[in-house]
Amino acid sequence: MNQHHFAFFDEGSKKEIRRTILKAVAIPGYQVPFSSREMPIARGWGTGGLQITLSIIGREDCLKVIDQGSDESVNAVSIKKLVHNTTSVEITERTQEATIIQSRHRIPEIPLQGGQILVLQVPTPEPLRQVEPREYMTKILHSEEEYSGAWLQLFEQIMKYGRTATGADHPVYVNSRYVMAPSPIPRFDNVKMNESDALILLGAGREKKIYAIPPYTDVQSLAFEDYPFAVEEFSGKSCRFCGATDVFLDEVLDSATGDVHYQCNDTSYCLEQLNSHEKAKEESSYA
Amino acid sequence: MAIDIVHDTQFVFRKILDSMARPGTVANVAGVASRIDTQLNCFHSTFLCALTLLDSEVTFHVLPTGNSDLIDKISQYTLSKHVSVSEADFIIASKECSEQEAADAIRQAKQGTLIDPNRSSTIILEVESLTEKEGTVLTGPGIKTKSHFPFAFSKEMFIAREEKNKEFPMGIDLIITDSSGRLACIPRTAEMDLKEVH
Repeated sequence: MNQHHFAFFDEGSKKEIRRTILKAVAIPGYQVPFSSREMPIARGWGTGGLQITLSIIGREDCLKVIDQGSDESVNAVSIKKLVHNTTSVEITERTQEATIIQSRHRIPEIPLQGGQILVLQVPTPEPLRQVEPREYMTKILHSEEEYSGAWLQLFEQIMKYGRTATGADHPVYVNSRYVMAPSPIPRFDNVKMNESDALILLGAGREKKIYAIPPYTDVQSLAFEDYPFAVEEFSGKSCRFCGATDVFLDEVLDSATGDVHYQCNDTSYCLEQLNSHEKAKEESSYA
Repeated sequence: MAIDIVHDTQFVFRKILDSMARPGTVANVAGVASRIDTQLNCFHSTFLCALTLLDSEVTFHVLPTGNSDLIDKISQYTLSKHVSVSEADFIIASKECSEQEAADAIRQAKQGTLIDPNRSSTIILEVESLTEKEGTVLTGPGIKTKSHFPFAFSKEMFIAREEKNKEFPMGIDLIITDSSGRLACIPRTAEMDLKEVH
């Protein structure tokens, strides 16, 4: 038996975060302030997501944690261990089995389902921060739906590079009201937020904000008519392990040979593909 | 009281969250509610919502006025403070409320500001049953096409809510509870069809 209180937090902290989550769901895309707690990991390492996970999780839940698509990176493993040690909930790597998926920088390749909650870790929740450093001013801009700054940023990228050049965290319009930072997911994943079957909760621990996208909510990536939104291009490339083509691929440079390889970013998806190929091979060889 | 303050409130919270995220989804908390062993002047599901969401950091108001027994119970169990209806973070409108009183509560409730729309009131409204076939049709975020909400709102309630929620993101969110341990939510984003209101 562990000697921690269930889910690490005291009940008062959970209550405050739970109230914040409900407000976030009721006002899609609006960043609700909350009193971010001290956590046993440093701010900026997923404390926002972790605080949401710990406040919503129950004994019946099954948790998956991924970091940049990987179930086995240090950050994902330490968060999983902390949650498991304080709740004893089941941990999984299979996207389909999880009821709560906490993630940094990716939305899994396997489509999310109705019963699932996706918790995203957010470093910079304010999409207007680069154009307006003062928090109170950005709150006023949001209240007035004054998003020229967000549009101008994209316009400047087009002027400079001939296209919008957001590497990740491409801003989205939620429910035709709030411009929102989708967290640093690739543009490839932005489209998964639109009319999602699963509830999406976003937590920024250092910036003390929680926001949400309810299921079946309109989420549109900011774009211009003559420069439409485009996701990362992987045509003609496939995963070197499992051969997948319609997924987000990592580019890996072999420094010895100078060769460039591509592989699935979502490791559990890749592994599942490999296993199913193996199984198919086995079955055909027996026959 | 035989309520497990850790696991039961977590269970109730997830039901509220699911209903808030998918307006029209009716949750059943009767199992937990049956373990409440204290005499209450409200539905058990209402009291569970209070136990789950209230503490000393937020305030509440009970309607109709004069239900001092319920005010005391909620204060004692949650340490939340009873304040006037226009200041309260949570307004509990019990079954004894007339349509008029419930509509008044919506009119007087905090709706937040354009800068801080979260500083608004959540109204926990008791209705006899969340199983009506007629009900109300909802659309909006959280709803794929249309959702059937199993309670028919009066025209007065409908108008009071419309008035309050007309300038999104300001507005109020509703948690509706019934006498058989059910609960369902209507966030400010949900649109009611006037034709369906009686």
